[in-house]
Amino acid sequence: MAENKNEYSVEYGDPVGMIAAQSVGEPGTQMILRSFHLAGIESTISTSGLPRIIELVDAKKKPSTPITYIYLDGKIGKDFDKATETLKKINEVRMSSIAKRILENFSKGKIKVVLDKQELESEGITIKQVAAKIDKALNLESKVEDNGVVVNMHTRNLKEIRAATINIMKMLVSGVDGAGKATIRRDDKTGEFYLVSAGSNIEGIMQVEGVDKERTTTNDVFAIYRLFGIEAARNALAFELKKTLKEQKISVDERHLNLIADAMTASGSIKGVGRHGLSGEKHSVFARAAYEETLKHLIHAAAFGEVDPMRGVTENILVGKQIPIGTGSVKLAIKKEDMAKIKPASHK
Amino acid sequence: MIVSDKQKSYVYMNGKVVGTVQDPVSLVNEIRSARRKGMLSGEVNVSFNEKLNSVNINTDRGRIRKPYVILENGQPKLTKDLIEKLKSKEINFNYLLRNGIVEYLDAEEEENALVALSEKDITERHTHLEVDISSIFGFTINTSPYPEHNSLARHAMLANFTKQAQGLYATNFNQRFDSRAYVLFYPQRPIVTTAAYDTVKMPRHPSGQNFVVALSTYYGYNMADAIVINRAAVDRGLGRSMFYKTYADEERRYPGGQRDRFKVPPPTADGYMGEHVYSKLSEDGIIEPEMEVSEGDALIGKVAPPRFLEENLGAGGLEEKMRDDTAVLKTGERGVVDSVVFTESTGATKIVKVRIRSLRIPENGDKFASRHGQKGVVALIVPPEDMPFTADGIVPDLLLNPHSIPTRLTFGHLLETLGGKAGAINGELVDGTAFSEAGSDRIENYGKTLESHGFERYGNEVLYDGMTGMPFKSTIFNGVVYYNRLYHMVSNKIQVRSRGKVQILTHQPTEGKARQGALRFGEMERDALIGYGASLLLKERLLDQSDKAVVLVCKECGSLGYYDHIKKTMVCPLTKTTDFVEVEISYAFKVLLDEIRSLHIMTSIKLNE
Repeated sequence: MAENKNEYSVEYGDPVGMIAAQSVGEPGTQMILRSFHLAGIESTISTSGLPRIIELVDAKKKPSTPITYIYLDGKIGKDFDKATETLKKINEVRMSSIAKRILENFSKGKIKVVLDKQELESEGITIKQVAAKIDKALNLESKVEDNGVVVNMHTRNLKEIRAATINIMKMLVSGVDGAGKATIRRDDKTGEFYLVSAGSNIEGIMQVEGVDKERTTTNDVFAIYRLFGIEAARNALAFELKKTLKEQKISVDERHLNLIADAMTASGSIKGVGRHGLSGEKHSVFARAAYEETLKHLIHAAAFGEVDPMRGVTENILVGKQIPIGTGSVKLAIKKEDMAKIKPASHK
Repeated sequence: MIVSDKQKSYVYMNGKVVGTVQDPVSLVNEIRSARRKGMLSGEVNVSFNEKLNSVNINTDRGRIRKPYVILENGQPKLTKDLIEKLKSKEINFNYLLRNGIVEYLDAEEEENALVALSEKDITERHTHLEVDISSIFGFTINTSPYPEHNSLARHAMLANFTKQAQGLYATNFNQRFDSRAYVLFYPQRPIVTTAAYDTVKMPRHPSGQNFVVALSTYYGYNMADAIVINRAAVDRGLGRSMFYKTYADEERRYPGGQRDRFKVPPPTADGYMGEHVYSKLSEDGIIEPEMEVSEGDALIGKVAPPRFLEENLGAGGLEEKMRDDTAVLKTGERGVVDSVVFTESTGATKIVKVRIRSLRIPENGDKFASRHGQKGVVALIVPPEDMPFTADGIVPDLLLNPHSIPTRLTFGHLLETLGGKAGAINGELVDGTAFSEAGSDRIENYGKTLESHGFERYGNEVLYDGMTGMPFKSTIFNGVVYYNRLYHMVSNKIQVRSRGKVQILTHQPTEGKARQGALRFGEMERDALIGYGASLLLKERLLDQSDKAVVLVCKECGSLGYYDHIKKTMVCPLTKTTDFVEVEISYAFKVLLDEIRSLHIMTSIKLNE
């Protein structure tokens, strides 16, 4: 591409936005027709295809299936056991997943958490640790019994006991809050071990020892925006768009997707393309009124005495003017009337 | 699982619990044997659902049921003896039902049955025998030939095409006044027929003709579902049909004692269309049969009272003011008045129905379809001398592109071609019922017939190029296929416009054939021009060729002014200035400004320069 890049460069007045929209929109119609799934775990746990594109373009605050790819520091990444250790530090375990049953004794004011020994073993947690966690969270003392933990509430208040039960069930036993369930993977090419977790708290994950902060990434664009800023968010957005289309075996020139990502992040924050984002922030009253919520925009314009600058496409088509795009984007440098004032050059 | 008590099963009668039972199987068996003995109605169905541990008895309406031959000790109760008696009409089907030889099962009882497809498939576990293998298909599929050789998608298409086929839809079509009717001239019954097709008496009102079809290209004229047909065949009546359309009108009565009147409207009538329009009407205001009519000709002359009551007392009231409400032949239509009917409705108002007939000879763009979901549009009507022909001098009626077959998986089409050819040569009907023979046996049988008459056994023949007389390098597969002419015909759809009517509200061109409309340059077309950057072309489409309007804009206040033709001045509704600029805008924008102003929002146009 480098040798004939001039052939591919846009010219002044090219409607790049419209071309980008058409270039993405046309293959997008095919995506509805076939729900294409790649073989593999990634595509089965994460949303892909059209729903994912909509999610990105609408700038949803939280992806429906957040995923974090956690890479590990050099040596840890090579060693399966060390990688598993890091996994246990990250993997989010809630009490509800390791508790077999939870028994409330309202007459004695006690709560007994019966733990699943197999689960405990596989997560690498001891009963004592669980008891300590409960003590810390509820500021109480609990006893370890043969297969669980007994908490003495020192009260027989029904409401308090039930509230405590719910708290215990929701309690984080180990791992990073919001990291989600993590699994270990092996890169087939390099043989390196890395982690994949179903959450997007990259801030928390990166504080864990042994995590490579430079390579760890997530599909949650907003998480990246919060941690790294708008430039990184733009790159993440463009990357996710490209990845989703590539998964569907749809080839769209990446510059169209870059343009979309640019437009969505140009303001310094991430904006969706719809009514509450780009389309709703057009300068032209007519262009906004032509899209959605016609009356809202007209009334607002009336109340604030808005003036339409008439610089966009939609509003110029509406009134019947030539659009300021393509052949309509150029004007004469000298007015016709002024031409007469110019004296012909003498050739003496 | 709903039922926890494994000992007892619930018994449902038409969906409601009526009790429990210890031994559900024997209950079901008892009810069944009672039904077979005729002690219970044959419409009762009973089944045991093992999963839900429930007995379901159904006697209500709305269940789809299907007949099966009952098996007893691995032997069908319908014996050879009984079949002979059926053939000799000694007994009938009801006899079989009454005597527990055949029974109807509903969807639920079918779950308890194991049905053998044919007698040789019967094992000890089977409880029923299919009446015929083809009954695993429904009616629609069974009326098509060789359905087991076509894909389901094509069957779905065939079901649609069958509805659209022209044919002999009713033998009394001459007496009927359907709003639209299509009658094929020489309908034929298909050579390749099926048992179901004959059973429902379809041959009595056929909807197609047997075409001689060659699977051949023709200079690219039958690419992509186009077909080439032989002009000689068309001239001899192939696919020829008559289109009937009925115009109806009545003398309506209105409150106040006024009513419509059938008569030639007087020139004084409001909306009088000119003398030439009514010239074909007879004295009573109705057109005569066998009159040739074309678009714009009056068919039923009628005057109606004015739409709004006016104070007509002052005018003397001698001459009643009437409005012309004549039925006129629609644009693009022509034909001959076939029949006129004068009658009265239950409300004692006079009704007139005029049926127009017009001949529809196949032409470019008319749609045809075979019975395999293979549709095509006529792209070329070839003079007979240019058509390919066989050594016997047979010229095909239709040339079908061979590429139509493999991707659509309609091998039934090929079988019908072969079967139709064998049947036509032998002068016999050919059975194309599903599974009546193995596909390979069919090919061999037809091959034998063809060979006995001196044809190639697989239906291939040397064809000669009509233009050069030279034989084609390859032999060409040909035979006889039943084709339907579908009612989508260009002459009913064709429409042209360069300039024409516009809508009153927006001043934009009208839409639709009935209103002489234009084709819409829509949003996506607009996007294409924006994407190309063709700004002036876009403006021409959307403004100059559409709703261009020149308005006066007040230089002082920016509101729209107007020209007062009496005072001969330009007027601004707000200021007293006469300083205006003429501006070209779309009329739709003018309407928008009007509507915004009607919301009490002031608009003003600021102009540059």
